[in-house]
Amino acid sequence: MRGMPSRSGGRGGSRDREGKPTARKKFFVRRRKVCKFCAEKLEYVDWKDVKLLQSFIPERGKILPRRISGTCALHQRKLQTAIKRARAIALLPYATD
Amino acid sequence: MRLYDIVVLITPDLNEEDAAKVTADYRKILADGGAEVVKDETWGRRRLAYPIGRKREAYYHHFQVSAEPALIAETERRLKLSDQVLRHLAVRADEEQKRSAKMAERIRKKTVRRPPRPPAAVPAPAPAAAMETAEPGRSGS
Repeated sequence: MRGMPSRSGGRGGSRDREGKPTARKKFFVRRRKVCKFCAEKLEYVDWKDVKLLQSFIPERGKILPRRISGTCALHQRKLQTAIKRARAIALLPYATD
Repeated sequence: MRLYDIVVLITPDLNEEDAAKVTADYRKILADGGAEVVKDETWGRRRLAYPIGRKREAYYHHFQVSAEPALIAETERRLKLSDQVLRHLAVRADEEQKRSAKMAERIRKKTVRRPPRPPAAVPAPAPAAAMETAEPGRSGS
């Protein structure tokens, strides 16, 4: 995705390479990530709900970071404990390879 | 009395009936100790996410009980002793529920307080006007 704008837009392409972060904003309207739990008004993250938790577990079995999933701080904390509990009873893996 | 979630994993070496008997034992312990069983559900035989004691599957059972802490401690002690129980987890559920209820309340208050503002504020008219123009059109057609 990062390499895309240089061809399409003549205005900021060269500037972009010089390392001005402001130029990039013209080309990307990055979709705003919204906390899934806030959006669905889920206050309580259920540690028994494997399907929900699995969506925050990438292949490796690690917890998906907030910067990628867009989860808010409060819900990420709750999600974290929920995932750890689910791991304790082998609903989720600690690690996979 | 406090609300607890208890999940018990029972050896796959037993058949379904015997596994049900094991859970019945613990149900009895809880009931005799004066606990009120709120939820009592069997998840059945499930694959484990990782092997526990060379076992790759287990029977899962979930209790949600309202009980005194001492009873939970006793039940946990017995769960630990049992060979048929691969693993168990008992956690409090009421604190979490209370907190989330409080948070839901706060969020509701915020959303209630917000609506009156848009007409007065400067950035609001645009979306409001868009909605006004869009809606009559939709209702008319």
